[in-house]
Amino acid sequence: MKKIAYLWLLLAATAANAQTANSPRFVNHTEFGGLFGRVKYSNPYTGNQEQVDSKTSLTIQTFNGVQLNRRLSAGVTLGMDWYKAALLNLVAGGVRYDLVGRKNVQLFGTVDAGYAFAWFHDDSEGFDTKGGLMVNPGLGIKAGKPGSAAFTLALTYKRQEAHVTKVPLWDQKERFEDRVYNRLALRLGISF
Amino acid sequence: MPNRMKPKLLLLCIVAWLCWSCNDQCKETRVVRRFSNVTYSLMELRTQVKAEAPRTLEQPGKMYVKGKYLYVNEIKKGIHIIDNGNPASPKFITFINIPGNGDIAVRDNILYADSYSDLVSIDITDPTAPKEVGRVKNVFQTGTFDGGSWALNETIGAISDQNVEWVEETVAVNCEDNISPTSWWGGWLFADRAFLSSASSASPQSSGSTSGQGGSMARFALDRNFLYAVGQSRMHLFKIDKPSQPVDFKTIDLGWGIETIFPYDNKLFIGSSSGMFIYDNIDPAEPKQLSMFRHGRACDPVVVHEGVAYVTLRTGTACGGAQNQLDLVDVSNPSAPQLIKSYQMENPHGLSVDFPTLFLCEGEHGLKVFDVSERFSVDKNLLAHFKDMHAYDVISLGKTLLLIGEDGFYQYDSSNPKDLRLLGKIPVGKAI
Repeated sequence: MKKIAYLWLLLAATAANAQTANSPRFVNHTEFGGLFGRVKYSNPYTGNQEQVDSKTSLTIQTFNGVQLNRRLSAGVTLGMDWYKAALLNLVAGGVRYDLVGRKNVQLFGTVDAGYAFAWFHDDSEGFDTKGGLMVNPGLGIKAGKPGSAAFTLALTYKRQEAHVTKVPLWDQKERFEDRVYNRLALRLGISF
Repeated sequence: MPNRMKPKLLLLCIVAWLCWSCNDQCKETRVVRRFSNVTYSLMELRTQVKAEAPRTLEQPGKMYVKGKYLYVNEIKKGIHIIDNGNPASPKFITFINIPGNGDIAVRDNILYADSYSDLVSIDITDPTAPKEVGRVKNVFQTGTFDGGSWALNETIGAISDQNVEWVEETVAVNCEDNISPTSWWGGWLFADRAFLSSASSASPQSSGSTSGQGGSMARFALDRNFLYAVGQSRMHLFKIDKPSQPVDFKTIDLGWGIETIFPYDNKLFIGSSSGMFIYDNIDPAEPKQLSMFRHGRACDPVVVHEGVAYVTLRTGTACGGAQNQLDLVDVSNPSAPQLIKSYQMENPHGLSVDFPTLFLCEGEHGLKVFDVSERFSVDKNLLAHFKDMHAYDVISLGKTLLLIGEDGFYQYDSSNPKDLRLLGKIPVGKAI
């Protein structure tokens, strides 16, 4: 899984290198927002009745890359997601593509894919949280004059995997959890 | 806004709407102990003790050594007889099928084993063809193996047993650690086999070169003409004047949670979950309680050497308890044992002393070797710590060290206790 993240980094780096000859334009897109979702689970305290809880998490990320042509830019996305029981740091390759729009309002597509690490996550005793693959495609609106800073609003779907090794309970000898966070990410940001 | 942009914005809304119904998917996978109740007819069980072709270790329990032979219990199934003439390549000779077996003792050519409620004597003159020669029926009332308990139902002549199996289950959880309110159970786990496999059974010996030697977790002990077998709450005495025909001689009530027995210097040191009992055994037919050394609730195998008892307490067992420690107890006056010093340990199980060296099993934390000649600074004299193994019980035979754990049976050359040399290993689940 990590390999894919490295591959993306490599790809982004190569893309960046390819442009150095034509003095490429550097692009930064920094966003923060929320990850909204739900979880349906059987609650052991209410006789295993199925229950639905809402989930909201904070997310920040920054995309740094180069403008490859008038519409497309590619680079590396670094970010941090505060899930309720996991703090994950993502390292991903990303692209931004201007789809359509007037001069100062653009609809753009965004895709980030990579791996999230639990470097800064502090586990409870006996627990061990590991990150996993992440993919985050979506659409956004960019408002601002071309060539200068712009505000962005992006709506994306984020899928994040994680694995947690847990302390077995009294009648167990092994316990672990495979998580897939499926979230709607709503982010505000600036891009220049 | 240009018209051509409107469908794209609509697309944006659709994406949002689709994502809004996003659900996190979290699956927790657990390996859980499941009990299933079974009833066995005693009539049938009593026909099943017989020699079978050698088989591999699957779930090794206690071990016993006599001469060049090793006897390794397969929990609840029977006993492996292993020719250990060459420790580098031990050979499985026979498997004795004994339903409900947990403990072993050997005197001369007779092997004593428990089989649920019965004590069976087996002639092993020819280790390739052992045969049952005697049986004392219905002496043990209850016992447990691996967390599942069994009970004798004399009125219908049956054993009500619980089979234990580990099953994997997967459930949808709420993507959080949900530590409370069940986390305190966590420390409870890990089948302490000494306690959990507490059938009612025999242990190390103190006298007579004709007996073998068991580990510190043993529940059978041989002393002169008696076999002592401790159950969960009692000690049974079997008279073995005629070795092949043990006679149920006497039962002594001890209180709950009896775990191990260690005979030494005409005394019986009995480890229970609430403390260590010392019985005077000058008259082997009449053990008399001299004292009890109390401590917190925990399981505690005991070994003794020249007036000092080495007692281990551990948590993480069915015995409860909150300490992991090694206690040195002065038993030079057996009527009034006095604590010398307590040392913190990780998860101590069986132990063996070859003065001045103490071998201590730390369960999944491996094996520790101490020099105990300086009794107030044992912790400063750790000679070695072998971490890459699971150690449950250990028998020191001077130059050789026998060690058993969940992953197999090990033999070491211990002539230099600082540098144990592995002679051979019999891994679980592998044929030799």
